[in-house]
Amino acid sequence: MFRPLYTRSLPRTLGLSRRRFISTTTPEIPAERHGHLPSSHSLITPTLSFFNSVTGGGTQIPTYRVLDGAGNVIEGAEMPELDRDFARRIYENMVCLPTIDNLLYNLQRQGKISFYMTAYGEEATIIGTAAALAPDDEVLGQYRELGVLLFRNWGLKAIMNQCFGNHMDKASKGKQMPVHWGSPEHHFHTISSPLATQIPQAAGVAYALQRDPERRGHNCAAVYFGDGAASEGDFHAGMLFASTLPSPTLFIARNNGFAISTPASEQYYGDGIAARGPGYGMDTIRVDGNDVLAVLAATREARRRCIESGRGVLLEAMTYRVGHHSTSDDSFAYRPRQEVEDRKRIDNPIARFRLFLHARGWWSDEEELALKERFKEEVMTEFRAAERAQRHELGELFNDVYAGELPYNLKEQRKELGRLVRKYGDAWEPWREELKKFKDGGKSVMDIEDK
Amino acid sequence: MLTRAVSPHASVLYRLPRHAVSRLRYSTAVDAVEPPPAGGHLPSIANSAILRTSRDSALRTPGLKFADDEPGNSLTGRETRRMNVYQAVRDAMSIALAKDDTAVVFGEDVSFGGVFRCTMVCLFTVLVVAYPAFLAVGTSAPGGPSHVTRSADLVPCFQGLAEEFGRERVFNTPLSEQGIAGFGIGLAAMGHTAIAEIQFADYIYPAFDQLVNEAAKYRYRSGGQFNAGGLTVRTPTMSVGHGGLYHSQSPEGYFMGAAGLKVVIPRSPIQAKGLLLASIRDPNPVIFMEPKILYRSSVEHVPTSDYTLPLSQLEPVLPQSNPDITVLSWGTPVYTCETAAHMLAQPPKGLEEIVPSAVRGAKVEVLDLRTVLPWDIEGVLERVGKSGRLVVVHEAGMTGGVGSEIAATVQKELFLRLKAPVRRVGSWDTPSGLNYEKFILPDAVRVLDALIETLTY
Repeated sequence: MFRPLYTRSLPRTLGLSRRRFISTTTPEIPAERHGHLPSSHSLITPTLSFFNSVTGGGTQIPTYRVLDGAGNVIEGAEMPELDRDFARRIYENMVCLPTIDNLLYNLQRQGKISFYMTAYGEEATIIGTAAALAPDDEVLGQYRELGVLLFRNWGLKAIMNQCFGNHMDKASKGKQMPVHWGSPEHHFHTISSPLATQIPQAAGVAYALQRDPERRGHNCAAVYFGDGAASEGDFHAGMLFASTLPSPTLFIARNNGFAISTPASEQYYGDGIAARGPGYGMDTIRVDGNDVLAVLAATREARRRCIESGRGVLLEAMTYRVGHHSTSDDSFAYRPRQEVEDRKRIDNPIARFRLFLHARGWWSDEEELALKERFKEEVMTEFRAAERAQRHELGELFNDVYAGELPYNLKEQRKELGRLVRKYGDAWEPWREELKKFKDGGKSVMDIEDK
Repeated sequence: MLTRAVSPHASVLYRLPRHAVSRLRYSTAVDAVEPPPAGGHLPSIANSAILRTSRDSALRTPGLKFADDEPGNSLTGRETRRMNVYQAVRDAMSIALAKDDTAVVFGEDVSFGGVFRCTMVCLFTVLVVAYPAFLAVGTSAPGGPSHVTRSADLVPCFQGLAEEFGRERVFNTPLSEQGIAGFGIGLAAMGHTAIAEIQFADYIYPAFDQLVNEAAKYRYRSGGQFNAGGLTVRTPTMSVGHGGLYHSQSPEGYFMGAAGLKVVIPRSPIQAKGLLLASIRDPNPVIFMEPKILYRSSVEHVPTSDYTLPLSQLEPVLPQSNPDITVLSWGTPVYTCETAAHMLAQPPKGLEEIVPSAVRGAKVEVLDLRTVLPWDIEGVLERVGKSGRLVVVHEAGMTGGVGSEIAATVQKELFLRLKAPVRRVGSWDTPSGLNYEKFILPDAVRVLDALIETLTY
């Protein structure tokens, strides 16, 4: 029997078939059979018919939701498995995230740290997905996923140290901008600024997981990215590799409506990011990113399929970027303030989940107050400790370019910097002030010739 | 093994895609067995003195270090086998795959053996058994060019690395260079060994962002917590005679500023195997550029054991104790420099009038840089410090080429010792126009001219 060149066994036994997600956009299977093409299962049809993911008339890919705005489970929806303690842990992290964001945002405004990015409005998406992952699933983020590290107990201390780039900052040793976190112990790969580069890398990470007998069938690589980053070529590459090669990669698109000032309507013409999944032969779901229970349930199922099939799965979380893009951005230059205020009030992911918890008797106003007080205090303590700490040694700037011994040019350049610091370190005011911030006052490069 | 090799399918296995056939055709350039010219014996790739064509000289390759886990480190009992560059490359990959369970090889079309056959394993047995005469010829006539290409062409049967190590470890990827590089970085970030192939160096640019912004900076930006050190990107480079704009490029200069990356370019089979194994095991991401014209045309006796050659260390291929001039190159033009040095000493017919007799006795030292980033600054300064004259030869264009970096460093460090300006011989700052290659690429006469001009400055 004829067997096409590129057959693969896709999981079709699961309750939600791939077809369901694209049922409104795929053409009808023709009644007549005229055979097949040499390299495809496609049936021959005499009907001249086009298809598109955007068909108008409200036939877009549906959005999965569990809780309504009042925190009630909507008709027909099934509650994800959830006990009191786990629900409270999710909620506490959802509350803590904007508390950290508030403080660090304000610190940037005061010039104490150089840069910051908040995750306002995306708390349910980030904490909900984090809660559905195993603690040792490898996470590759874009930059708005601090909540994952928070959920994995990376700790306030490490967060503050990274933002200040002080000598206790292990994440980048003061080499990257704030919010570029990373921790191997927490299986969170270091963030980098170039958008979407982490997407094909995630497929490689997942392939490594699949090759590791200890982790095959237990772990996936979860990669986060925004709707804007999904326009990069690397998104295409990552989706392609994870669908073609056995690499359990969970693609989590945070569709928050904006890429800095560019609205989603100028980012793509199709039906969001989800519509692209089927094109890569990938199981796909769109979820209400402001409904933490929907995010939790969808991510759990996406993760399960991902690991079971050993291939990529796409999840698009629909949300809204309530905050500015970053501290270098004033978003009211391109969107009305009222729109943002309305979204915050009408569709607040934290409020929605709080109503749910209240209804179950799992949370109270007193606990809310106490949590916020306790957390604010902890945040301030850690902030003060991090702020006071000095930076790494100045010589650290040459380390980790290469593993092993410094190459000749870097040795020479380190020596040259030492000469310059000796000569101008006191006389040149911008350097004098800056040198004080380093643990060694610059000695590590100045002493190089004596070493 | 034997039955397999003489099976009627052998010829089918040997069949190559059209793509690679063009390389075959080119290899006939070294098939021509002509007697040495009357005016002097000009070396070419086929009979270069640089190539180590006996077991003894192969085992005495400077810097060669057998793997620690190999029994004994003495030379007695070590075997060598005649290989060309692509055979040496796949020999290295085969060793890397056999010794490291995490190692995987991937790229476009690597699964069937690669368009340059670097991911195939070649079974020599039949050649030896069926035609014992070749074995005798191969070991007893060093320098004789006739057997060199014949033996390489007559290898009757191939087995893909994919068949030996499985499709999980040697596999095709979708046609996306940025995907290949990103995927490799992800594997390396998990501590695995990723040996990626970009089909032609001309097509490495779509992966430039992943290589320069990601692979190169992975360790630095994470404070040493993560790294992409397990990544090696192999890619065929340099001209091939008819490659036109996009099968000829030498992009090593574009990576010169990518601190964190290493760029390695071998000149021969022994070098290719040793440097590739060193690159694969180096704890930094390495771009390994294989001069594609040498895949089939340069043949050496290559030690069959696991060995490495040092990175960031040049090798004097034509050393001189008191050199008058130093010529520095890497990859294919190393042979051009060797030819030019001979032309200077014994000008071939037609050039006798042009080469001044005063420079014919000049001692020309030829160095192979081998690692372009980080390059062996100390080694270059030491050698040029003795000769006082430097000619740098590369196939890439002049502006922004690696030669500019070397020339600038040498003039800064050796200003008072230089007897002539550092001279660069490269391609012109044009793309590699198909019909114009002979006038674009630095050939022996251009290197000869640079030698004369520098020596008579």
